Amino acid sequence: MDNKNISIIHPRPSSIVAALYTLRDLNVDVAILHGPPGCSFKHARLLEEDGIHVVTTALDESGFVFGGHRELVNVLHKVNDMFHPKLIGVVGTCASMIIGEEMREPVMEANLDVPVIEVEVHAGYRNNTKGVLFALESALDAGIIDREEFSRQQHLLEEATNVELRHGAASKEYLAPSRGDVKYKVAQRIIELLKEGKRGITIMNAKKETGYMFADITVAVNEIAEQLGKADNIINMSNTDVGLGLPRVRHHAECIMNDFEEKGIPIHEIIGGLDEYPVAGATIDKLIEEKYSDYDFAVITGVPHAIPMDHLSDMEIISVTNGPRQVLPLKELGHEHVLVEIDLHPKTLGVNHIVESEFGATLREVAKESI
Amino acid sequence: MTIQKRIAIYGKGGIGKSSTASNVAAACADEGYKVMIIGCDPKSDSSITLLGGKRIPTILDLLRDGVDVKEEDVIHEGYKGVKCVEVGGPEPGIGCAGRGIIVAIQTLKKISKSLNEMDLIIYDVPGDIVCGGFVAPIRKGLVKEAYVLTSGEYMPLYAANNICRGLAKINTPLSGIICNSRSVSREEEIVTKFASEIGSELMAFIPKEQIVQDCERDGFSVMEKAPDSNVAKVYRKLAQAIMERDSSVMPEALDDERLRELTK
Ligand code: SF4
Repeated sequence: MDNKNISIIHPRPSSIVAALYTLRDLNVDVAILHGPPGCSFKHARLLEEDGIHVVTTALDESGFVFGGHRELVNVLHKVNDMFHPKLIGVVGTCASMIIGEEMREPVMEANLDVPVIEVEVHAGYRNNTKGVLFALESALDAGIIDREEFSRQQHLLEEATNVELRHGAASKEYLAPSRGDVKYKVAQRIIELLKEGKRGITIMNAKKETGYMFADITVAVNEIAEQLGKADNIINMSNTDVGLGLPRVRHHAECIMNDFEEKGIPIHEIIGGLDEYPVAGATIDKLIEEKYSDYDFAVITGVPHAIPMDHLSDMEIISVTNGPRQVLPLKELGHEHVLVEIDLHPKTLGVNHIVESEFGATLREVAKESI
Repeated sequence: MTIQKRIAIYGKGGIGKSSTASNVAAACADEGYKVMIIGCDPKSDSSITLLGGKRIPTILDLLRDGVDVKEEDVIHEGYKGVKCVEVGGPEPGIGCAGRGIIVAIQTLKKISKSLNEMDLIIYDVPGDIVCGGFVAPIRKGLVKEAYVLTSGEYMPLYAANNICRGLAKINTPLSGIICNSRSVSREEEIVTKFASEIGSELMAFIPKEQIVQDCERDGFSVMEKAPDSNVAKVYRKLAQAIMERDSSVMPEALDDERLRELTK
């Protein structure tokens, strides 16, 4: 192949996995991976932590040659007996899709009295959002979501893809992973800014369940400001609209908002739902322009690269992401300090309260010494 | 010691690969050669006429049943000691036949010692070269020479030409063209010309005779059931030519226009 035509050489999240996560957000109780036993192992395990059962039809060499119709029917029966699910998802894999497996027929044959969402998906898509889209289409067909929610999700997906292409992990041929700046130093800097009486905005623009950890940074910054008697210097924005998104996503927003309230953290601006991180940028930009353009610094968490720089460029920006490949693009955008929360995802699956972040913990520790 | 011949016979589906392969195998066995025929078609009827109409279990059938496959399970002796193997495959429309060939060939390579003791191994491969699986016998180093079977009609020639393109791609030389006649006009002339234009030559012209069909229906090769027939002589000559053949070329496929002209 012509060298110049290779646009991606580092692996990226797979469409199969994206479909699995979408099924979870649709609240399936069981997801059946139709394919090799090892497919998507790590995510399957993670999702089990999140309370859904992920099983496989475990197709082997013989299954690749003769197809896995029988296996799928059997597994459908088995999970129905074992887990008594209310909603089941069946997800294709590269192996089953390459050999042209049909998933509708085995589902009909199994004839369970539980709705089943089948997603014909493999991992060979450049935009892994395809997996989400296919899952949503099937959910629409099965009557699990309505047309309006489907269109909304579709729009968000397109925007999410654009965000990644513009400044995200898909923006370059190769991006080396990086741990970003030293958290201790950046924590000191925030404390310094607050001590100087500077005014700051926290912007949580998080993707779904990752909000449980990014919210902790909002909390930590507010705690420090409070300790310094500067609570009023902080404005908080977060994308935790409780009325938007697939069932599970709305539930996450509720949980996070409850915790904010309990901790006495005022959220001044709700900038969208937890699935609106790709489009919240415009809202944020407008708010800043109209109300906060003279603020001195911003702590942006979640998906910072989705926020336009237009009215941020005069502020000192501290951004926190969970993508080790996101550091360079953020620096290029002009973010002074870029931090990475490693292993965020495993820690935010299956929880319903704010989870302590490494940066939040660092802030609190540094504050103990310097306040 | 004779040099081991490992050949594959390609050609459009239904053109008569299996009957040609089994008759060549039988003719070589008549001459005292040690011969193996490996049928790679899911229909698994490459060897049926060497086994008196009997079907043997296929490698993939056994693998599907989870059997730990041994040589004696899959290699069966037929007419004059010809060793017969059938790869088998999935039902039409499900699973992946190409993958099946790959798996079966790997299995065979692993379990069979007699592959090395043969004078001639014939791979009867399905239809066209449509995917990587179908060229597995070649890619896995089991086939050294290829023959292409065709008639003088446009479609089989089109397939033959395409196969030549595929052979060049996988770096496998063509040893010759065989014409299995459908009694169309100027057939021998057309196929001879085709063969020479791609850089090869016509090895045999097998006339269309009812006796081939009759023997097949009874479950026998022509060599066994009608050894004195005219067509048996043709097979015998072809078999001899194959055994003696020591030259081959990288075929140069014709463009579509030229091919159409040729068959006009
Ligand atoms: S190649 Fe595809 S089917 Fe195989 S493990 Fe990877 S994602 Fe799964």
